[in-house]
Amino acid sequence: MPYKTSRVLDRELKKGSAELLILSLVEDQPRHGYDIGNLIERRSKGTLKFNVASLYPLLYRLERRGWIQGRWVEKAGQRRRRYYRLTAEGKKVLAAQRNSWREFVEAINRITGIEHA
Amino acid sequence: MPDWKKEVRKRLSGLNLAPAQEAEIVEELAQHLEDIYERSLKTGATEPGARRIALLELDDDRLRNEIQRSQKPFREQPVPGSGRSNLLADLLHDLRYAARTQLKNPAFTIVAVIALALGIGANTAIFSVVNTVLLRPLPYKDPDRLVMVWEDATKAGFPRDVPTNANFIDWRDQNQVFEGMAAISFDNFNLTGAGDPERLDGRRVSASLFQLLGVDPQIGRVFTAAEDQPGSERVVLLSYGIWQRRFGGDPGIVGKPLSLNGASYTVVGVMPARFQFPTSYDQVWVPIAFTPQQAADRTTHYLKVLARLKPGVTLSQAQTEMSTIATRLQQQYPKSNTDVGAAVTLLQEDRVSDIRPALLILLGAVAMVLLIACANVANLLLARAAVRQKEIAVRVALGARRQRLIRQFLTESLMLSAMGGIVGLAIAYGGLILLKSFIPENISQAREISIDFKVLGFTLLVSVATGVIFGLAPAIQAARFNQSETLKEGGRDTASGGSGKRLRSLLVTAEVAISLVLLIGAGLLINSFLRLRNVDPGFRIDNLLTMKIVLSGPKYREADRRSAFYKDLVQRVEALAGVRSAAVTTSIPLYSDGNSITMVFEGRPEPPPGQEPIIETRIISPEYFDTMGIPFLKGRQLTEQDTRTSPKVVVISEAMARRYWPNEDAVGKRIAFGKVEKPEDWIQVIGVVKDVRQRLIKDPKPQMYFSHQQTDFFAPEDLVVKTDVDPTSMAATVRNAVWQIDKDQPVSDIRTMEEVFADSIARQRFSMLLLAIFASVALVLAAVGIYGVMSYSVAQRTHEIGIRMALGAQTGAVLKLAVSYGMKLVIIGIIVGLVAAFVLTRVMSTLLFGVTATDPATFTLISLLFVIVAAIASYIPARRATKVNPIVALRYE
Repeated sequence: MPYKTSRVLDRELKKGSAELLILSLVEDQPRHGYDIGNLIERRSKGTLKFNVASLYPLLYRLERRGWIQGRWVEKAGQRRRRYYRLTAEGKKVLAAQRNSWREFVEAINRITGIEHA
Repeated sequence: MPDWKKEVRKRLSGLNLAPAQEAEIVEELAQHLEDIYERSLKTGATEPGARRIALLELDDDRLRNEIQRSQKPFREQPVPGSGRSNLLADLLHDLRYAARTQLKNPAFTIVAVIALALGIGANTAIFSVVNTVLLRPLPYKDPDRLVMVWEDATKAGFPRDVPTNANFIDWRDQNQVFEGMAAISFDNFNLTGAGDPERLDGRRVSASLFQLLGVDPQIGRVFTAAEDQPGSERVVLLSYGIWQRRFGGDPGIVGKPLSLNGASYTVVGVMPARFQFPTSYDQVWVPIAFTPQQAADRTTHYLKVLARLKPGVTLSQAQTEMSTIATRLQQQYPKSNTDVGAAVTLLQEDRVSDIRPALLILLGAVAMVLLIACANVANLLLARAAVRQKEIAVRVALGARRQRLIRQFLTESLMLSAMGGIVGLAIAYGGLILLKSFIPENISQAREISIDFKVLGFTLLVSVATGVIFGLAPAIQAARFNQSETLKEGGRDTASGGSGKRLRSLLVTAEVAISLVLLIGAGLLINSFLRLRNVDPGFRIDNLLTMKIVLSGPKYREADRRSAFYKDLVQRVEALAGVRSAAVTTSIPLYSDGNSITMVFEGRPEPPPGQEPIIETRIISPEYFDTMGIPFLKGRQLTEQDTRTSPKVVVISEAMARRYWPNEDAVGKRIAFGKVEKPEDWIQVIGVVKDVRQRLIKDPKPQMYFSHQQTDFFAPEDLVVKTDVDPTSMAATVRNAVWQIDKDQPVSDIRTMEEVFADSIARQRFSMLLLAIFASVALVLAAVGIYGVMSYSVAQRTHEIGIRMALGAQTGAVLKLAVSYGMKLVIIGIIVGLVAAFVLTRVMSTLLFGVTATDPATFTLISLLFVIVAAIASYIPARRATKVNPIVALRYE
């Protein structure tokens, strides 16, 4: 059942990378949830997609850990939205996660024979 | 447009989020849904289609779970592979949980902690005595190399006999195994000069003693070898106590003169406060300094000999060497040394051999008390575990593993036992204060008993062991239960049936058995003690005042001077108002072993060396028998007319008459102290008196009484006064009468004979009292245990009993049903306990007097007592069962 296997792998990969993705996206500028969800979907060209049920709880969890901070922002002519930005601690965590992700990917690549051009 | 907020709120209901937080989440999510909805519409979806796409995002179950999870406090993820942080976190969790459980059920906790505290406290108290008396090394340098050397005269009945001077000197000079050897002899010293005259206990010792012990004086120096020679021995070492008390701690005491026994001694040093040798009573030490005549003495056995093993020499090597030397001496001096060997024992051994059996038995007893307490608490926990089955079922359903449950239950037990340990320590502390006042003074080191780190460690160990012992059974029981059974029974107690009930019954049976053993042990001791107290010592102890008046020094060197003093003293005391009669004697009964002399009998062959009859001897004034109330059987008494110039006479005891003239009249027979060289050497038996026990626990031995006006082998040193009034009220008056004759004469040890009697059985009373206390605690704990199990079983059967009574069962029948269950356990326990007691009480036989270790009366009586207590303990809950209203019982659920 190749299809099913790939779906399981997808789910696990997604779970493992979700924190890294969110932290990366709010690194340069604060973003709101919809924005984050859209960016993930767009930049992954639809490969990765978080629905509301998984995205927001994840945001809340990261906030509780003190890695990101959410704040309500009202812009002229718009409804208020909650923007998330990276905290100092979040920066450290992001750096660490990037490192281990890189090591992980490199290791996988070496094993599976996928080489960078 | 759909109401997104309503949709989100609906899905979050029941998550118990804080209202403000919920509002924020609702707002944020609703916005997101709205954005999706609008984008869908823009890309050409219909309104219902766009709504469906948006709602799909919410993935209901996922949302709820994830939101809930995201609200949990963040905890550092445990590093995979290291279980440590997990264990610690679990432990903290278990501790918090245990604390909450204990707090929720204060009655349970208090009962359990009290039971445990009693057990642990008793153990701690007794252990601290054992620790101090048996385990703590003696306060000398390398005490494990210090030994006592004895003459081994087993054939004559003295396996540890005190050596003679000459034997000591030969041993010292011939051995290769000891670094040194010191002789010690007990002596009294009358201290006069400054303040009231005082009689001091002290020792004459070899100069090397202090080097052997490895103890330096606090100030000054110890003796030199030169001072251990006759002529230069007038030097004295003081104890710290007498230095402080009598000389106000005078730092310039060294070099000052002191009057001891009428002679002047120079103080050379003061020993440190902690130093005591051999006992805490000893106040002064002087050189033993044998004269040539003393050094050749092979007949007077009175020394104690201390030696230090050379490094690397074992006790058995020393024993072999000493036996070889003793054998050589036997050949060399057959007259005095036939059948005299040598025995080497550790000093520590010598100090504690008397008290050890009693202490070990007490330690065993408190261990039993603790076991019973454990059984009780285990029973309580089992009952509670039954109540907690539902909780456990839920936790197992939620995935709790068995080990985890056992661990949590053990944490609870350990917390209980730790609390028991802390309270127990307090009990031990209080108990020790009480205990110390009961410990007979003649037990060495008794005053130093305290709780030290070793004791604390012991308490900790006992507490942990206790927690595991009583906690393990309920924990395993709880973890092993059948989950589906519990659920099927709708939460009814499963531990009440099957293995739970069996375990609880077993515990009660064990409790009964153990406490029966203890009770029988205590019963035997109480029985012994009562018999001991009712032993007729052979004289009247009431209204009798005793005191020590030891004449010494140049003033009383001649026997005539002493006799004159006694005569004067007796006359003066008898003249006092309130005094019926008075007398002097060389020793009072029940206090020490007294003096003995070997005798020869007219018309009988001289016995071979080592087998001369040795007979207890008293030198008295004629009023002695009247004063002591010793009945006179036949012949005539000693009188003032029996003097040095009249024929020598003796009064003997019934036992002596029976032993040596079994079928004849002893009166008129003649004996002598040794070789009869002239007719005047014969001593005629003139009268026979009733036997007197020198030691209460020993049968009376043959005894002889001589007049102090005729015989001066020993000098009287005790005054006994029969009074018409309370003897203690006469003490000062009598002492003043002494000082009227000689103002420098010390008077000491003023006691009534009743006190002497009480002291003589103090050790037995001590053991009996303690064992009785422990046995009572055991009985109460066992009764509580039976009561607990019965109450529980009755409560479990309320339903059944209700049905029975509704169907017309009589109260009596129901009562019988309930009681018979409890009594069955008790009877089994008693049978097991009787068998165990039959085996175990033998170890006590040395502590018993007048009863055998398997005394049938004690066994029967104690068993009966137990049956009665057990019957009451089962009857009370059973009776409650019969009071049950059937309607209530049937509704009871």
